[in-house]
Amino acid sequence: MNESEFETDFWKDAELRKSWDQIIPGEPRKTIPYTLTLDAIHKYCRVVDDMHPLYFDEAFARKSSYGGLIAPPSIHILLMFSCTPADDWMRSPGTVNAGQSWSYNIPARPGDTIRLEARALDKFIRKDRLFVVHDNVFFNQHDQVICSGRGWTIRPM
Amino acid sequence: MTTNTFDTLRAGQLIEGQPFAPTRESIRAFCEASLDFNPLHWDDDYMKGNFGRTQFGGIIMHGMNNFGVITKMLTDWLYPVGGVQRRLETRWKIPVKPGDTITPTATISAVRTTDKSRWATLDVQVRNQRGEVVAVGEAMVEFPAAA
Repeated sequence: MNESEFETDFWKDAELRKSWDQIIPGEPRKTIPYTLTLDAIHKYCRVVDDMHPLYFDEAFARKSSYGGLIAPPSIHILLMFSCTPADDWMRSPGTVNAGQSWSYNIPARPGDTIRLEARALDKFIRKDRLFVVHDNVFFNQHDQVICSGRGWTIRPM
Repeated sequence: MTTNTFDTLRAGQLIEGQPFAPTRESIRAFCEASLDFNPLHWDDDYMKGNFGRTQFGGIIMHGMNNFGVITKMLTDWLYPVGGVQRRLETRWKIPVKPGDTITPTATISAVRTTDKSRWATLDVQVRNQRGEVVAVGEAMVEFPAAA
């Protein structure tokens, strides 16, 4: 998938996405591989005002311990949506992100083909809110773990 | 020098990040860069609604924009000294809105050495221009032993 194919209208086909009642903890989510481009890295870096030369300056990055350009650790913010299809329940309008935790192994790099293994891990009710916990691992084309993490979401009522 | 940097770390040491001032335009740009087009972040009419116990009163910045701002603070500190960001956990306390200015800080909570490497843990906070805490969390960073 590339960005031009991404459905930005999260209302479209919203009824196809699983509600809190339908989500089964432990059940895998559908995912799709995504090729991370340098343009996509730069677009993300610019919006968080993170212009480190490891992300932008090829010569600087080549001389560094990383040996070339990398993406910032938080690139999983983009990968979460680029590696999931339009009917994924994370896109349900009104989904509130209550918090996330991520562990980082190796950096993603421009040109990587990234795949995601993801599932709902848990769901519960707390203070009259419906929560679902999602669990995710991103791999590169060499099956190396890039990062793994989970997030706590409040589901739309 | 990685070795020297780790040896200088002390609990209580403060790491300061750069202020970030989200606007309606920057939030829209974050939608496009992250592919997160949840209407919480762009649809004024939708945000007039009531979200169970919560009334936002307008569009809000992505919580993960905080995550990106915290990450920049950590990596700006770590890259020059050979450190590696290994973990970041955050919880959002109150929403951030266009016109706010948020600033992340981190305080070293502990340092320790394991069989294979050297680590520091940090308590992370993000405050807005009124001093309110909008996000809290913990980070763990590694200072690989010199080869």
